[in-house]
Parts: sequence; structure tokens; C-alpha cells
Amino acid sequence: MVVDSQLMSFFTAGSLIVIGIFAALFLDNLIKKIIGLAFLGDGVNLFIITMGYKPGGIVYIFLPDMTISNFAQTSAYPLPFALVLTNIVIGASTLAVILGLVLILNKRHGSLSASKILRDKGE
Amino acid sequence: MDLNALIAVMIILPIASALFLNLLHKKDRTIKIIAIITAVVLPIIPLLTPYGSHFFGGYLPLAQNSTLAQGLPAIITGTQLSQFHLGIMYVFSSAQQLMIFILGIITFFAIFTFINETKKPSGVYAFLLFMGTASLSAILLSDDIFNLFVFFEIAALAQVGIVVASGIKDNYETALKYILIGNIAGPLLLLGIVMLLGVTGNVNVTDMIFSIKNGFVDPQSPVLLMALSLITFGWLYASGLPPFHTIKSEVYSKALPHGAALIQAFSVFTLVAIGIIIIRLFSYNPFTHIAIIGISVIAMILGITMALMQTDYKRILGYLAVGELGYIGIGLGLGTALGITAGLFQAINESVITSFLFIGFGTVLYKTRTSDTKKLGGMMYVNPKVALLVLLAGLAMAGVPPLNAFQSKLMLIQASIQSGLPEIGIIMILLSIVTFMTFMKAFYTVYMRPKPKELEVLDNKIPKSTIISLVAFLIICITLGLFPQIATSSLQTLAAGLV
Repeated sequence: MVVDSQLMSFFTAGSLIVIGIFAALFLDNLIKKIIGLAFLGDGVNLFIITMGYKPGGIVYIFLPDMTISNFAQTSAYPLPFALVLTNIVIGASTLAVILGLVLILNKRHGSLSASKILRDKGE
Repeated sequence: MDLNALIAVMIILPIASALFLNLLHKKDRTIKIIAIITAVVLPIIPLLTPYGSHFFGGYLPLAQNSTLAQGLPAIITGTQLSQFHLGIMYVFSSAQQLMIFILGIITFFAIFTFINETKKPSGVYAFLLFMGTASLSAILLSDDIFNLFVFFEIAALAQVGIVVASGIKDNYETALKYILIGNIAGPLLLLGIVMLLGVTGNVNVTDMIFSIKNGFVDPQSPVLLMALSLITFGWLYASGLPPFHTIKSEVYSKALPHGAALIQAFSVFTLVAIGIIIIRLFSYNPFTHIAIIGISVIAMILGITMALMQTDYKRILGYLAVGELGYIGIGLGLGTALGITAGLFQAINESVITSFLFIGFGTVLYKTRTSDTKKLGGMMYVNPKVALLVLLAGLAMAGVPPLNAFQSKLMLIQASIQSGLPEIGIIMILLSIVTFMTFMKAFYTVYMRPKPKELEVLDNKIPKSTIISLVAFLIICITLGLFPQIATSSLQTLAAGLV
């Protein structure tokens, strides 16, 4: 059923968000934390896409053989998809900065352990 | 020429200048010239721009745009859909004018100090300062909550960059911590925004309010409550209110003084901008006001008491700045016209005073290369003029008349009494006394006690530009203290609209 697939998609998004937050907060390895953050970002993106899904809807591209009225009634709402595109770009840039910082800290401390890096801090 | 296009110029100019400066490497003179010209122009633009709205792409609502509405079916033009905004909209009123002007002034003095204190100014550092300013201007202007989120992320990245570029010990660790937390807060803020989108079908704040007020959306919907809590979480992170006060004060302490001055201004104006949106959207729910006041009181108590325990003067200032944010939050949380005006006025005052203090105390770092109060002393004899200016800045923060924070804190106390919450007024008075004590303790250890023998004071002379910046901040403090109506008259219209 269509409704079920949308519900499942919301459930998957929720799971990704919870797993992502857990990994970012409780795992010690910085790379695992970053993977958790990627999960979190992807979960939010999936949530937005699922929200924009319209059962039986069409892609929001106005083709020559369509009437405006028919297009307005059947096309999916494009705004959530535009938001997702922007958020993917933001997420990629932020992750790039985090990875850069982790690279430098790994060279300095010789470890990817968040607790070790923060323990070494100030010494 | 449509002068409302100048609204967009407030964002485009610093971004364009930042991108250009980023490309310049080892071209010190060019960097200095471009940075100074941009910094001079920034506070002037809001003064020249007429109040109004700017519609990106020219997309006015269909009800005001007959050309676009032509040929569209009645299912769109004949319903409330025709009222909705089709593109990103920026709104510019007297309150935004004042706040962007003050932000421009702080940016100018941050750039001015940076250019003159640094032998070889980095184009990348100037890029970060300008990108932060552009983001904050956009956050203050935008009526589109997703657009606000985009600039929220850019501002967070700019702050991380300013910390990384400082070269202060352990700055990378602090930057990583801040961005990791930010990467949790950012997506959660976005989740709150898309929940609002899901319920109202919009990301434009005015349209969302229209939907809530006209019964298209159930105001008691649990999705709206969830959205409120997620947006509040993002707001706490961006402004540095508890539980993010520790990381925020650490960020201040790991930035260079001019960078810290600007970062705290970013925190203050983000607090105001997102706080106003929360009030506009959720003021129908009394829990919103209670939550804002509760968080603000905790911020005041935690910020000011934790400042007492620090031994690094940059951390002291950082925590004091967090404590002062609490005053702004209380003004917004009271929800009355006087309370909101007082809160906004306090935001203007705090951004100026804390910048004044960061740049003033920064001269100690410039002369000694340390910010540890245990190692410092006798700085009054090194430069008595700067010491006097810093003392005045501290008195301003504590709310001593006739300086500016006295007026805003007095208004806040009056507003809390008017709202039937005199106990909050008493807490504010007590915490102002503790702020004064904390500042005097830091001032005594850095400036007044005998100079430790092992303290090495460098020969480098404090640049005149730094002194000029401090005097300018003092003039603003005195002017707003003697004539508060200059600021309050600009803020009252916005405050009245929020009640």
C-alpha cells in the first residue's frame, strides 16, 4: 500500500535521526561520530522528501501537453525537494570542514579518540 | 532605481567583498583597502535604505501581481493561496535598520582593529568576518525561515573559521567541539522548520502566522509543539544560551579579540532574530513565554556565577556575555511592548559593550601574549588611558548610570514589575551587582595589583586605531545612555507588532 510505504519512509527517517544523534553523542571515535552526523543529516533529508511525497502525484515539470489546472491538482509540492537540495549542499560543506579539522587533530594527537584529544587539550 | 534593492545589497556587498578578499593572497595593501572600504560602507547602507520589503526574483504574492496571476485557475487565484509569498522575502523596518547599523559599526571596528594590529592581514580572515556579518544581516532581514536556516549554518561555519584562524592554543579542539554540536543542532532546527512546512505548507513566517490565525492549522497540534521545541533547541545553540553556554564562552576565548567581539555580536543578534520568530509564531501558547523566561533566568545565573570562577579574562568576558544574553531573553519572554522594547534595547547595548570589552582587554593580550589573570597585573601603569576605557566599559556592562545598559536594565525591571513579576526584577538587580563584582575582580587582577616579576610586557605600541575604536564605543555607550529614545523609538514599532 502507498500509505504504508510513506509511513515506512517516515519510520526509516526517524531511525536514521535517532541512530545519528546516538552515534554523535556517545561514540568516542571521531570518524564514527561523523558517520553519525551524516546519518542525522540524511534522516532529516529523507523526512523532508517523504513529506513532499504525493500519492499518485506527478513530477512538478510543466510539459506542453498539460493544462495549468491539471498540473496544479496532480503535481507534487516542489518546495520540500528544493529544501533538500540546499540542505545536501550545506551538509556536504559542513562535513568537509569537520573532516578537515579531524585530519589536523589526528596529526597533532596521533589519535581519533575524542576523549583522548580533549584530555590532551591544555597539556 | 528601486531603492528597496538596497535591502539585498546589505547581504550581497559583504558576501561579494568576502569572496574577493578570499582570493587575495600576500596582497596586503589591496586586502586592507578593500576591507576598509567595505567596512565603512556596511553601516551606511541601512541608513540610506527606505523601509519596506524586497521580493527576490520580483515574486510578489499573486494578489499583488496581476501579470503573474493572469491565466491561473481560480483554485489558486480565488483562494488564500493568492495571499502567500512565492519567493524569499526580506523585511526592513526601523528595528532592523538600527540592529544592522550597530552590526555594521561593530564589523567596522573589528576590521579596523584587525587591519592595524596585524602586520600581514589575511584575506581569509577578513572573508570570515564579512561572511559572518552578511549571514547575520540576512538572519535579521529574512521573513523566510528556511533562508534563515541557510544563513544560520553559514554563520556557524564563519564562527568556526574565526576560531581556527586565531592561532590560539587548542583552538582546533574548540572549533571541532562547536561544529560537532552545531551539526546536531542545525539538522534539528531544520526538522522543526520542515514540521512547520508540513503543517502550514509554507516556509514564509508571515504566511505561517496567517495559516495559524485563520484556522487553517490547529494551533494545539502536537506537530507544532514539536516544531517549537526543535526550533528552540537551534536557537539555544546559535545564541549560546544554556546548555550551550560553556562551549560558546570557550569559542569567545579561542578567538582573537576583534573576532570575539564580532562573534558575540552574532550571538546577540541571532538570539534576537530567532527569538522574535519564535514569539511571532508561537506566542498564542503561554508555555513559550514561560520557557523563554526560564531559560533566560538560568542563563543569567549560570553565566554570571561561572564568570566568577574563571581565571582567564577572555572566559570571564565570555560568561558575562552569556549572562547578559539572559537579560535580552527576559525582555522577549515578558511579551509586553515595554518588555520587548527593553530586551531589544539591551541587545543593542550588550553587543556594543561586550565588543568594547573584548577589544579593550585585547590590548592586554597584544602587550603580554597571555590572558591568564594569575600571570597578569600592573597593566594600568603600562597604558592608563586604555585601563580607564576598559573600566568604563565594565561599568557600562554592570548598568551604572549614565551609561547605556543602565537605561535598558531599568526598562527591563520596570517591564517585569508591570508584568506582575517583580521577583525577576530583583534577580536582575542582584545579578547586576554580581556582574559588577566579577568585572572589578578581573579588572583589579589585570590592571591594579602589582605587576608580577615574571610578566614580560612587550615593547609593541598599542595601535591608535584600537584606542579610536574604544573611544567610539564609549561615545555610543554615553549617547545611548543619555538619549535612549534614539534606540527605543526605532524598536517600539516592532515590539508593538509582536504583542
